[in-house]
Amino acid sequence: MKVAVVVQRYGADINGGAELHARYIAEHLARHTEVEVLTTCARDYVTWRNELPAGVEKIGGVTVRRFPVARARDVHDFGRRSTAVFTRTHSLSDELAWLESEGPTSHALVKHVASAADAYDWFVFFSYRYYHAFHGVRAAASRAVLVPTAERDAAIGLAIFPPIFRGVRALMFNSFEERAMIQHVAGAGDLPGVVVGVGSDIPARPEPDRFRQQSGITGPFAIYVGRIDENKGCKELFEYFRRYARTMPGGLQLVLVGTAILPVPADPRIRHLGFLSDTEKFDAMAAADVLIMPSYYESLSMVALEAWGMGKPVLANGRCDVLKGQCLRSNAGLYYESYAEFADALYSIASSASLSQGLGRNGRAYFERHYAWPVIERKYLDVFSQLSARGASAAPAVEPLPGFFARRARTVPAAEDVLGRVPAGAVRP
Amino acid sequence: MAEFNVRADEVNVEQIMHQIRARIREKRGVDYTEEQIQELAKIKLEKFLDPRGLRSDLLEQFQRAAAKDLPPTYEFDDQTLIRSGNPLVAFIRRLLQPVLKLFFSPNPLVQALHYQTQINRYLLERAARDVLVYEVMHNLVVEMTRTGIEVKNMTMRVESIAGRLDFNERRARALEAVVQYKPEGREEHGAPRGGRGFAAEGQGGRGFAAEGASRGDQAGRASGAEGQGGAPSPRGDQGPSAVDPVTGGESLRSRRRRRRRGRRSGPGFTGEGRETRDEGRGTDEGRRTGDEARRTGNEGPGENVLEHRSRGDDQEQRPAEANGQVEAASERASQPDTPTEAPASEPDQS
Repeated sequence: MKVAVVVQRYGADINGGAELHARYIAEHLARHTEVEVLTTCARDYVTWRNELPAGVEKIGGVTVRRFPVARARDVHDFGRRSTAVFTRTHSLSDELAWLESEGPTSHALVKHVASAADAYDWFVFFSYRYYHAFHGVRAAASRAVLVPTAERDAAIGLAIFPPIFRGVRALMFNSFEERAMIQHVAGAGDLPGVVVGVGSDIPARPEPDRFRQQSGITGPFAIYVGRIDENKGCKELFEYFRRYARTMPGGLQLVLVGTAILPVPADPRIRHLGFLSDTEKFDAMAAADVLIMPSYYESLSMVALEAWGMGKPVLANGRCDVLKGQCLRSNAGLYYESYAEFADALYSIASSASLSQGLGRNGRAYFERHYAWPVIERKYLDVFSQLSARGASAAPAVEPLPGFFARRARTVPAAEDVLGRVPAGAVRP
Repeated sequence: MAEFNVRADEVNVEQIMHQIRARIREKRGVDYTEEQIQELAKIKLEKFLDPRGLRSDLLEQFQRAAAKDLPPTYEFDDQTLIRSGNPLVAFIRRLLQPVLKLFFSPNPLVQALHYQTQINRYLLERAARDVLVYEVMHNLVVEMTRTGIEVKNMTMRVESIAGRLDFNERRARALEAVVQYKPEGREEHGAPRGGRGFAAEGQGGRGFAAEGASRGDQAGRASGAEGQGGAPSPRGDQGPSAVDPVTGGESLRSRRRRRRRGRRSGPGFTGEGRETRDEGRGTDEGRRTGDEARRTGNEGPGENVLEHRSRGDDQEQRPAEANGQVEAASERASQPDTPTEAPASEPDQS
């Protein structure tokens, strides 16, 4: 069996959520079957500039085939088109133009998928919202498995995507909330697929003392791992934590790990360590008392799963359905929707060892039950074998795009309005 | 904030979140999210501003208005009308200006337009300032709303605390009554109980002890015979009660008094005996005297009364009698609360 993992960017140093997810899946599936990664030459997800050489290379034992991006993203054009399709009634043609503008527009990649479709048994496309996934699925629908990595943002309300969701052979969802959202948007009762997520290679023996020695951090602390960005809820986290620190002198510190796009406030209780290697990151998480996940939009928080895998409690933003659902299903994390809840929940975790340990134990059990690599690998392989058993004749056909005039009819509702009608909330266990 | 004590298999995140939210509600009255506060602020703004035709989304509206392109201003002075890029044309205009003045007076026109430029400039500056003013106004409204909510919550908390205080006071009174009417040791431990009352007061006490001590002082003043070796009234901290706070029925004292009244008016008593008892009740030691008379048979009432009074004055009575004296004193002290017991003071008046 030969599997192609198709993703917008790929590299050992590329740590975007979906890209890292794709790399982990490719590397772990490569232990069971032949895997090839099809990706672009882009490294930057904002511009999609060609920064890496086109051609074939090996990364982590996996063959990676890169294709150039036809044109870099024009940020202003993309912003203008986003506003048009998200907020106003528009046409399908507008949405297709938006997709082109979003990128990464790699005609060569799509052409390769179409021409070499028979060379692969399965294509695993990552991230429904990008050009490569939309056109790639249409080019090889009968062999397409989609990992949507969908968040609750306006793009899910665009009219070009439901045929894609309905047209693939299977969907590998990250969470129950994502599945519920996509099923609602697709308008199909029960899409073929399974909730899988992704595992993580957690070191058996992280060394928290080494982290404390290296960083000079003493005392209890909460940790945030990820891009320090307003979109990730970090601004609110800073505001809440500083208020908390004022009312709880001598309590927890906040340690930030990741690249800062948002300025980190100068506060003696907040420490920014920048980007850390995986070993250092796991040491830091092992030393932490609690992981805070302030993000509003997540399709799956790998960091939260890693924290649970290490037996650490998580404090998550309850306005993110996925995070809240994971906390409820795992019984391993508390969540907040206001400052008062943030302060009370953080204090509860920090002050009660029994609660903290109880949450951590539940988290570890949840991780091992659902997100250990053998579980994840088995789910993928089972899906492939089931689809193979059904044969290509069982493949649904992707609905063709409407004709010239129908594509230009300005009758498509604003994506935000569509999203507003999608039921929200965590899926209860 | 409460401490959680849980085992891993008992952790229920949903339940913990319910507890956290309940605690927050208890602390804040009603829990509002930032969005709700904003929403409330808009509603209030609407309420205030709608009658004047203004909008609740004032800031938004104003920002939208401010974003529109403002007309450019211009400079206008006395040379503007005749100024030209061509020096020759400018010279000819200047030359003909006196002729122009023969047709109309350009000066008021120039002056008016000059003033207009100043007005325009002022309006533009004000437009720039208004953005800030409206933002401040909007923020004030939001903060006012927040403050209003907090005030409401505080009011609720004060009411709640007042309710609890009231309840605690009633509970304290009930507990005092329990101590007061404990049947055993009333005579044996009268003085030590009074001592406890003072000790509690000395500790700086809680409302119960302080109140008790205060009543003890009143009892002391009422009896005039108190102060055996500086000991306080053993029942000075006790208030009268017709209802037993434990059983909910009649208290021992009420039952005993009723028994006595029954005996007085009962068939087996002679007039002398009744008189003896009535007189006995009237003195400080009267009740005890009456009781002794009941136990010992018939003794001379008047003598007994005088005898006990004189002995009380001489501070020579036996401890048991002293206790009885103090009891009687405190009983009198508690009379205002039991008007039906008024006869107890009659002998003193006589």
